[in-house]
Amino acid sequence: MAEVNGGVARPAYPEPISARTQLLAVAWMRWRAFVNSTFRRRPSTARQAVSLAFVILLRILVWPFLALLVVGPVVGSGFLAWDQVAHHHAHNLSSLLAGITLLWQFVAVNGLSMAASLSQFDPASLLRFPLRFGRYFVLRVMIGFLTPSTIVGCLALLAAAVGIGIAEPALAAPALLALAIYAWTNIFFTRMIGAWMERWLANRRFREVFGILMALVAVAFQFLNLRAPSHPPGAANSWLVRFVRVSHGYLDWLPPGFASDTILKGVHPFAAIVPFAALLASTALFAAVFAIRLHKQFLGEYLSEGASRLAPANAPSRVKAAAPQPKIAVSAPPPLAPPVLPPVVAACLRKEWLILRSNSAQLMGMFYPLAILVVLNRGIFSQHPRYLLPGALAYVLAGLLATLYNIFGADGLGVQLYLLAPVRLRDVIVAKNLLSLSLIAIEASLAWIVVAMLAHAPIPESTEVSTLLWAIFVVAANLTLGTFRSIQAPRKFVPGKLPQRRGVPGNRTSGLLVLLVLFGSLLLQVPVALLSRHFADPWLGAWIFAPFAILAVLAYALLLRNADRLILARRDLLAEELCKV
Amino acid sequence: MTTPAIDTTALTRRFGDFTAVQDVNLRVDAGQFFGFLGPNGAGKSTTIKMLTGLLAPTSGSIRILGQDLESNSAEIKRQIGVVPEGMALFGRLTASEYLRFVGRMYGLDRATTLQRTQELLEFMQLADEEKKLITDFSHGMQKKVALAAAVIHGPKVLFLDEPFEGVDAVAAGTLKAMLQRMIARGATVFLTSHVLEIVERLCTHIAIIHRGQLVAQGSLEELRAGAGRAREPGSGPEASSEKPRSLEEIFLEVVGTDREGNRGVTAPEQELSWLK
Repeated sequence: MAEVNGGVARPAYPEPISARTQLLAVAWMRWRAFVNSTFRRRPSTARQAVSLAFVILLRILVWPFLALLVVGPVVGSGFLAWDQVAHHHAHNLSSLLAGITLLWQFVAVNGLSMAASLSQFDPASLLRFPLRFGRYFVLRVMIGFLTPSTIVGCLALLAAAVGIGIAEPALAAPALLALAIYAWTNIFFTRMIGAWMERWLANRRFREVFGILMALVAVAFQFLNLRAPSHPPGAANSWLVRFVRVSHGYLDWLPPGFASDTILKGVHPFAAIVPFAALLASTALFAAVFAIRLHKQFLGEYLSEGASRLAPANAPSRVKAAAPQPKIAVSAPPPLAPPVLPPVVAACLRKEWLILRSNSAQLMGMFYPLAILVVLNRGIFSQHPRYLLPGALAYVLAGLLATLYNIFGADGLGVQLYLLAPVRLRDVIVAKNLLSLSLIAIEASLAWIVVAMLAHAPIPESTEVSTLLWAIFVVAANLTLGTFRSIQAPRKFVPGKLPQRRGVPGNRTSGLLVLLVLFGSLLLQVPVALLSRHFADPWLGAWIFAPFAILAVLAYALLLRNADRLILARRDLLAEELCKV
Repeated sequence: MTTPAIDTTALTRRFGDFTAVQDVNLRVDAGQFFGFLGPNGAGKSTTIKMLTGLLAPTSGSIRILGQDLESNSAEIKRQIGVVPEGMALFGRLTASEYLRFVGRMYGLDRATTLQRTQELLEFMQLADEEKKLITDFSHGMQKKVALAAAVIHGPKVLFLDEPFEGVDAVAAGTLKAMLQRMIARGATVFLTSHVLEIVERLCTHIAIIHRGQLVAQGSLEELRAGAGRAREPGSGPEASSEKPRSLEEIFLEVVGTDREGNRGVTAPEQELSWLK
């Protein structure tokens, strides 16, 4: 065995570690992690090659769309900046800059989950290395430079500077300077919000309150959107124009106003000193508030509330001294009525219910689509109950069907118990499916009642029958595929998110298939409705969906009958995929 | 009097109403192989986190190698190595990439980093896994990587939280030999472990923490003689005058008492009559 010479040969640490060394080390580490997670997928079998082909295809489809999301705001910012300066509406620049900030925050918030899924890197893990606070601060700012929000925001600001420069060449230099600083303002602002949100969201109570607030805000936006009178774009009394006008006065006292003032007074440097100083001050303020939060983390702040839920130190021990144990005569429990469900199914159902009960976010999420339905009912949809009912059910089901694909994935390591205990895994599947079906039935029924109560006209009987058969088909088809997929590729499935960890090659392929079936079955209503309209036969939908529903239910029954055999064949995979620590 | 490697005064950490560590006064001299024991939830990992600067104490002070941890954290971190509770590895790197990164973060030059990385990978028998990502390693292999990362910069004090958990017997033997060689060269090792036999064989000094409070501290001989006890539970060294008591016996005696000194809180005689 090799001898470690480097282990304790001790240098005297004569020189401090250079910032360059540590910053480059972190940059190199991030680069290697990116390369490893992106390119280390060596297809060695035909199946892996097919999976890789699917991934490449998906990227070819998705990346241009993402590029459009970047190109649109960037070109728009450049054009608007040019337009406002060239046509003597330069005072509106602050509104444009505020819009870019809003876009920046929007992308940052929506990019968080994507970034989290792409990277398992926790910047706080760097704290164990010999870093000074200043260097840690720089690292935290540096990490995340290549996030979508920073890229889109910086490019939009650069485009705005170019637009201003083209419209008024004398303003080009002040625009570049002011908008470069404004970019830093936004970077620190985003980091500040992110760091403080991380602190607050570590508290479960705050998470719940925040979730409710976000849901209310989303519903309120939908409500406002439908209630607002429609005007042609650019009309003088458009609510958007009025909003911009009202907010314009306030923006003068905020960073967008400071940046805008700096640019417009840029030709007279002395006049620009005050807004420029204000812009610098606001940037410094955001950086300072961000630094305060980071410093607490640097000193060893503990965010998790796990420890505080433990018993206090002075709580009396529950374990008593070993006194002689009296013989306890345990009387037999009174005879119960014969159970409706087999014991394993009942036990699993109870466990699932306990988990659901403690997940307030999921419970709240169930009511959110119903609230949106009430909002939608106030708009044009209420005039057409023939389309509103299936549309409402499709909307409600879309949020619930994903649970059917996570029979084992959501249990993670806990799945070992099912593999070790003397239970039929078919019973476990039945229990989980029963709970999911109950939730779907409850929410679909509530949605149906909401539509029936709020629709301006009675729902035709043919629509009700057709929708019911379609709903049975959608649920049974997704239940069948979800159960099958849970056995074949048991890792947790989240719609719209591809698995990043290397594992079963089928995971990615089946993920795409799931998306196809999920959205395909939901959208099947559209061609059927068109056919029904074309042939002027309101009952056509019912005739089409009836055999679909019967076939889907039969397929599920067949799968359930063979579930034990299938699971036995995939036992190794279940353990490998879900039980790896 | 020599400067202790680790010296804490009234070290306390609270999480809301819960006091995880209370008034801990630890003294570990340089060159000691120090075992830090305690039942589950006693406060071992919390103490290690505070000693390595990952968690701020609520009150009290910590001095490592004579320097105050709060005011000299960067200098101290440069002279200590840590295998934290969750290992804190970057799973998307290979072992070699990770060690090179850690070496650079500790200020080693490129050539030294590469040389030590190679030596450590061979020593830990990981050299054949050069293309495998850490996330695909077994638990034991990940532990080896974490240990290699903890020593790559030649630390003067090494903190190990359950270093042998999940490591096979051959690797454990290798690691023990490496740690003992470090001690022979003057390093200090501070480790927690639930495997009392390993601690007894390796460590010269022991501290036992129970419900956040230090209940025993001293050399193994002192503990056997009953001199290191923080309290007198009523059983002295005379209880076993013939054969030296094992660490397990000492541990059970010390933590098997409640705050009033009553023995038997673990209720070993309690019987589950339905077990075959």
